[in-house]
Amino acid sequence: MPLHMPAPTPHRLSPPRLTTPTTDITNPAWAQQNPLPIDHRPPRAPSPRPPTNTTTTNASSSSAPRIKKRKPWRKLLWVKQDYPDNWVDPTFLSQLQRNINVHPYDFYSLVADSTVIVQHLSSVVIFVTSFIAMFKERVSPVSVALVSTALTVAGWVVWDMGWEKREKVVRGIREHRRRGNGSGSGGGVNGSGGVSPGVGLGLEMSGRGESGGGGSGGDGGSYFPPCPSPPPSQERGAADGSSGASAPDSPVKKHRTDPLDAGDNTSTSTATTTTTASTTTTADAEADRKSQDEQSYILREQRSRRLKTAKSTLLIYFTLLGLSPILRSLTGSITDDSIWAIATWLFLANTLSFDYGSGVEVKFPASLSTNAAITSSVVLASRLPSEGDLPPNTAHVFSLILTSIQVFGLFPVFRRYLKHVSWGLHVCLTVVLVLGAAGGLGAVVGWGWAVVWVLGVVGGMGGCGWWLIGLQKYKNEIHGPWDPARPVIRRQWE
Amino acid sequence: MTSDFFYPQPGGVESHIYQLATKLRDRGHKVIIITHSYQTRHGVRYLTNGLKVYYVPFFVIYRESTFPTVFSFFPIFRNIIIRENIEIVHGHASMSSLCHEAILHARTMGLRTCFTDHSLFGFSDAGSILANKLLKFTLSDVDHVICVSHTCKENTVLRAALDPSMVSVIPNAVVAENFKPDPNAASKTHITIVVISRLFYNKGTDLLVAAIPRICELHPSVHFIIAGSGPKAIDLEQMLEKHMLQDRVSMLGPVRHEEVRDVMVRGHIYLHPSLTEAFGTVLVEAASCGLYVVCTRVGGIPEVLPSHMTVFARPEEDDLVNATSRAIKEIRMGRVRTDKFHEQVKSMYSWTDVAERTERVYEGICRGERVGLMERLKRYYGCGVWAGKLFVLCVVVDYLIWVLLEFLFPRSNIDIARGWPRKATRIGEGSTRRDRSRRREEVLVEEENVRN
Repeated sequence: MPLHMPAPTPHRLSPPRLTTPTTDITNPAWAQQNPLPIDHRPPRAPSPRPPTNTTTTNASSSSAPRIKKRKPWRKLLWVKQDYPDNWVDPTFLSQLQRNINVHPYDFYSLVADSTVIVQHLSSVVIFVTSFIAMFKERVSPVSVALVSTALTVAGWVVWDMGWEKREKVVRGIREHRRRGNGSGSGGGVNGSGGVSPGVGLGLEMSGRGESGGGGSGGDGGSYFPPCPSPPPSQERGAADGSSGASAPDSPVKKHRTDPLDAGDNTSTSTATTTTTASTTTTADAEADRKSQDEQSYILREQRSRRLKTAKSTLLIYFTLLGLSPILRSLTGSITDDSIWAIATWLFLANTLSFDYGSGVEVKFPASLSTNAAITSSVVLASRLPSEGDLPPNTAHVFSLILTSIQVFGLFPVFRRYLKHVSWGLHVCLTVVLVLGAAGGLGAVVGWGWAVVWVLGVVGGMGGCGWWLIGLQKYKNEIHGPWDPARPVIRRQWE
Repeated sequence: MTSDFFYPQPGGVESHIYQLATKLRDRGHKVIIITHSYQTRHGVRYLTNGLKVYYVPFFVIYRESTFPTVFSFFPIFRNIIIRENIEIVHGHASMSSLCHEAILHARTMGLRTCFTDHSLFGFSDAGSILANKLLKFTLSDVDHVICVSHTCKENTVLRAALDPSMVSVIPNAVVAENFKPDPNAASKTHITIVVISRLFYNKGTDLLVAAIPRICELHPSVHFIIAGSGPKAIDLEQMLEKHMLQDRVSMLGPVRHEEVRDVMVRGHIYLHPSLTEAFGTVLVEAASCGLYVVCTRVGGIPEVLPSHMTVFARPEEDDLVNATSRAIKEIRMGRVRTDKFHEQVKSMYSWTDVAERTERVYEGICRGERVGLMERLKRYYGCGVWAGKLFVLCVVVDYLIWVLLEFLFPRSNIDIARGWPRKATRIGEGSTRRDRSRRREEVLVEEENVRN
């Protein structure tokens, strides 16, 4: 059987490109003789001429006479087919898939997402311009620190008001994870009952939420939408009259026993009612208790939290105050040039390693970024003019570092929170920051630069988004039956 | 002909090379194998049927692959080629750098080259991109390519940007005599499922770990035999301990290729949860032993066996359990004539057929006209903006080295090795221990021609 030569001038196959959709590699006609575009290669010299007749001695099917009407070629190896080994069927590469995982970007969502970056850049610019203003002695350091502290306190108040909401998100995520694991392990242990704990919990949650919203129980209870917090073990503890401080271990397991206990205590449910009925009634009663309990829990939490915040604030404040003289002289002996270079690199590191993507649930994102910025301010602090040699005036060092902690340590947390809470406020904050940075630049460097900054931000937001979308056409993912399959496994244990 | 991995390391490529070389010898060709030296084996060896193997000392970096040095292999390679009167160099397996180097040098020396690809590669991760570039380099100037399945052919054509008509599909085969069924070995009372595979991620061991407890739960009389070793063995053992299945699942550990048949005949169903597979010789072996095959529908597997011998599953835990349950049911009902599998497989796959088809490829490439250096450089230059220039540089250096070698060690000073006498009495394994290094990796250089 001769080797198959489909095209009179064989060519190299160029990899498929999205830019050239006309040369569709999956086109069945392609395999026959469509001349393909050749990427960089010169056309391949004719491949070795195949033998025209075979000299096989064995009586296997290979030398069967060619039938006029051949059976269609099949992509199988176990059947002897009347086709040469290098036959290229029209179905060749028909299972090739391209760019199946690529989702097109939307321009406006890209621009919207870039606001996070713009915010951070603006806050860096604001900080740097305020440093320059201090450096040039156009602004008193103390006033800068005062302004930023006032803003920080205002931000904290807003942030503190939203604490419960945020906590709920965090706890919801944790709970979700734990529940996932729990139901999984249940499934692993007793097979068919695997799904029930999760479903049961979900039902109960919704029931509790309804009764809490419409019921008599709550002054504060209705305020809180249904959520699995605090963990059921604590409710139970409170219902029993104990302090409610029992450890919240394995909520699912507790929860399973929960309806029984509650039924005994409240005696609202009789033994004859079905399990579902008892569940709903207990959920009702539970919601009452829960709302009260939650209320006290929240208040308690709030108080201790505020105390903690105040304590750590004072601690940082006094530590900074005490360290100021040391920090001032720490890099005093380094030349100006080095200081500017170090500060520039540190700010770059801060910008590049900043965690732009995380949400409110992350407690301490991107510590490298924060550390870089604060180090940078420590380095810069030594360049500030010190009035009066003895005793050294350290107010400016203190102010600068305090400002930097506020701008780089606390402000990002607030920005994340604001974005989580309200998109409109987030946009407003972005505009305010950009304009503030522009104002700072205008006042310190020159108004021309301020205009350049604003134009750069707007152009960058639009331009980069457009660029990224434009680059998408070069995307060329190839998938086919040769790809290693991704196993789909229901996790049964961790 | 050139090829890649070789004994004493066990594996599919290794046995492919051995069987093909043996059959080609039987058809009157002279075949030698070049590989890298193994710990216990270096120098020149004759296998029992007179097959000559060169174990060349090389530095092994990863999974029996030699360190790619591009040029260092050339002097000894040229010596071997001249000694043995080689005409065609046939490389096997795209992961072997020895094979790539052999093809490059053979082209520099003006020999015919052929390449067999045994594996599938993706296009997404960095390792694949690098491997694909290397493959493109080698295959820019090769006379013909052989793939073991149609899926593998599609993959190779895409990876190396080849003309699909210069790629032939020649499947692997099995020695059916070595995989005869034994109806008495399997248990009559309960169904046994056999799994023989290296326990790696890409062999789907995770699926196996997830599926076995569920299958055992659904079918209380089903037993498992698992043979093979690998990093995922620990997961399997943990699963056994967790679900207390030690008495129903026996793990045999690594099994030698000769013993595979003895393990297989103890079962009724062969389970193969692999995630990627170019051909899956083990499936053919299992079917030849009269086992009903349950396998995932990935890679070239759907091409390998007819549908009455297999139950296909998606690579998902649930579907694998379903497919296995279906297979168990069919076996219980006696609807599968597994006793006929052996004869059917025997008629489907044989190494004689493979050798014949390979021979046809050789005849084809011997007929093509020779390509000059400039033409070769043009081909390499087209490989890419930067890579093309780098490749051209490599080829030019290789050519210069060849000229230098011709000058330093002229052809006339190299002795011609005597061929293995035909039908001679067995002499046994002779080995000349010239090489010191104890490294592994292989290339089988096999030469066809010399029809005596």
